[in-house]
Amino acid sequence: MLVLGAAAVAVLMHAGAPLLQAQFLASFAGVALLAVAAEVLLIRYPLRPEYSDRGIWLSVSTPIVIAVILVYGWQYGVWLDALITLLAGTVTVYLRSTRLRWVAVNSFQSILSAWAAGIAATAVFGVGLSVWSLHAVGALGLGLLVYMLVNGALVSVTVALAEGVRLRWVLAQTLLSLPRDILLMTPISFLAMAALHAYGAMGLLGVLAPYLALRQAFVLAARQQELYHQTIRSLGFLVQRAHPYTGGHLQRVSMWARRVAERMGLPPERCELVYEAALLHDLGKTVLDERILNKPDRLTPEEWEEIRKHPQLGAEILRDTPFLAPIISWIALHHERPDGAGYPFGLKGDQIPLEARVIAVVDAFDAMIGGEAPNQRRPHKRPLSLDEALAELEQGAGKQFDPQVAAVFRQVVREWRTHREARTGA
Amino acid sequence: MQGAWWALGIAVASIAALAYYAFVVLPARIHRWRCEGLRAFARLIELRTQGRYGKAEPLAELASAVALRLGIPLYERRRMELAVYLRDIGMVAIPYHILNKPTPLTPAERDLMARHTEIGASITEQIPGLWHVAPLVRLHHVVYSEQPDAPLAAHLLSALEDWIRVAESADADTAASMLKQGAGARYHPVVVQAILSEVRQRTLDGVQSLTRSAALWL
Repeated sequence: MLVLGAAAVAVLMHAGAPLLQAQFLASFAGVALLAVAAEVLLIRYPLRPEYSDRGIWLSVSTPIVIAVILVYGWQYGVWLDALITLLAGTVTVYLRSTRLRWVAVNSFQSILSAWAAGIAATAVFGVGLSVWSLHAVGALGLGLLVYMLVNGALVSVTVALAEGVRLRWVLAQTLLSLPRDILLMTPISFLAMAALHAYGAMGLLGVLAPYLALRQAFVLAARQQELYHQTIRSLGFLVQRAHPYTGGHLQRVSMWARRVAERMGLPPERCELVYEAALLHDLGKTVLDERILNKPDRLTPEEWEEIRKHPQLGAEILRDTPFLAPIISWIALHHERPDGAGYPFGLKGDQIPLEARVIAVVDAFDAMIGGEAPNQRRPHKRPLSLDEALAELEQGAGKQFDPQVAAVFRQVVREWRTHREARTGA
Repeated sequence: MQGAWWALGIAVASIAALAYYAFVVLPARIHRWRCEGLRAFARLIELRTQGRYGKAEPLAELASAVALRLGIPLYERRRMELAVYLRDIGMVAIPYHILNKPTPLTPAERDLMARHTEIGASITEQIPGLWHVAPLVRLHHVVYSEQPDAPLAAHLLSALEDWIRVAESADADTAASMLKQGAGARYHPVVVQAILSEVRQRTLDGVQSLTRSAALWL
């Protein structure tokens, strides 16, 4: 930490001397003011939400700093970054009750990163680039890359030291999103550079406002994604507690269903939907009388009648939720059989959507090996071994199970078993 | 010089439009999306209780209108709307045979039913993006004389849900006189005033009977 601080101060001093005689000082003050304001006003968002709040933050300032480096020279960039991180950091200390110590660490890291970026960009592309050239874009990209690499490495080391996490893991987390971020930031940086070149600080204002709106849209898109998963997770939680599955039934079924969907060549987002549909396939059971669901002995025909309502009840629950619309029919039809003996409609073969056929096979299989509630086990009473269940699957292909799906699934189970045996060393 | 002013004007206008989109339009869309997700929870309870509880749409619509009348801010109105969809979620933990008992409930069973607010609030608290809705779920049957300090939105939900129930089973006049009698005791007087004027307004506007429109909603 001390070493970091000393290095950062040295860089600042080194950069400061020629700055005083330069002619851009007034314009620079405007830029700095705007950048600090933007940094404070914008809610900075973590790149990886599951990571700790002290993780890596993608801030507006980085593209602007790089643009300033290329337009005015690296000394300005270093000072600008120092100002931004210190001032904005101090304000966020009050706004978000973070620790002052982290502001200092953050500033040191930023200064060193900006310095490295400046040196690298000027070394490769020289100074005084014309704005509208491919060289300028290259220099921006390089500057951003170096900045993020150095900053990522420094932050990773700090986080690893402070939180006792393994450095390699933190680094991997940091570097994973690097290409995407650079891709996103280069155009913004380019715009900032062009605006700075043409209009000075005022030009930056024109770039920042759209950027702010864009970023807000980004945050909201992430939020939407989060809400989607949240809804599914919460519903899954209700299914889990409504019905006495033996441990891991829903997870196993979802995982296998997705694997089978992948093997059948469905597009990735479709496979994710299959996973979610498999998680929620028994949603309708949350509506049923738990005395029937929990009944230890055989069900009467009337009780079976009730149980048989659950696919349609599940579909009914999701009726008004448009973003889950694709999975509704899969849930409603997951007890149909290719030979037409299933319920609720008795559809045949291709009338049943592929995804519903996948869920039916996987669900039935997991029930055979003992994942289902005791009273709803099909003809056999005791849970079957994996081999017996696989044989059953082969027998039922074409009647109870879709033959193609069953074949793919048998393959998936065999691979799963080899994998499990290899892991447990059995 | 003239041209520069034009350019500046266009730039400012387009930036304002973008900002409006990002900070007004998009959040509203997210809120709608969120309500659509929570509708599944309301529908689940509605199916489980064969339509007796959990119905959300008429309550959500009326509650927003009355809240607007009361001057409840946008943030709180949105929170209230989420609470409308989640309020009866605690009923997943109430045994099916009590929820669907054809005969009147015993005092013990009624106590158990009354716990659905508490159970619902604890379920809601566990969902990361929804913890802020939990207080309203807990207080959606709040009694004014017991907790006058509860959020206005909670008082509104409490009174409005009773109003809708009576208006559906009897008629709007009976429901209105029930609210008037309870004002200051069971119901928040300000809320009662707002509900009554909203209902009167709607009757004047030609909505013949809210009972009918509520029935059409479902």
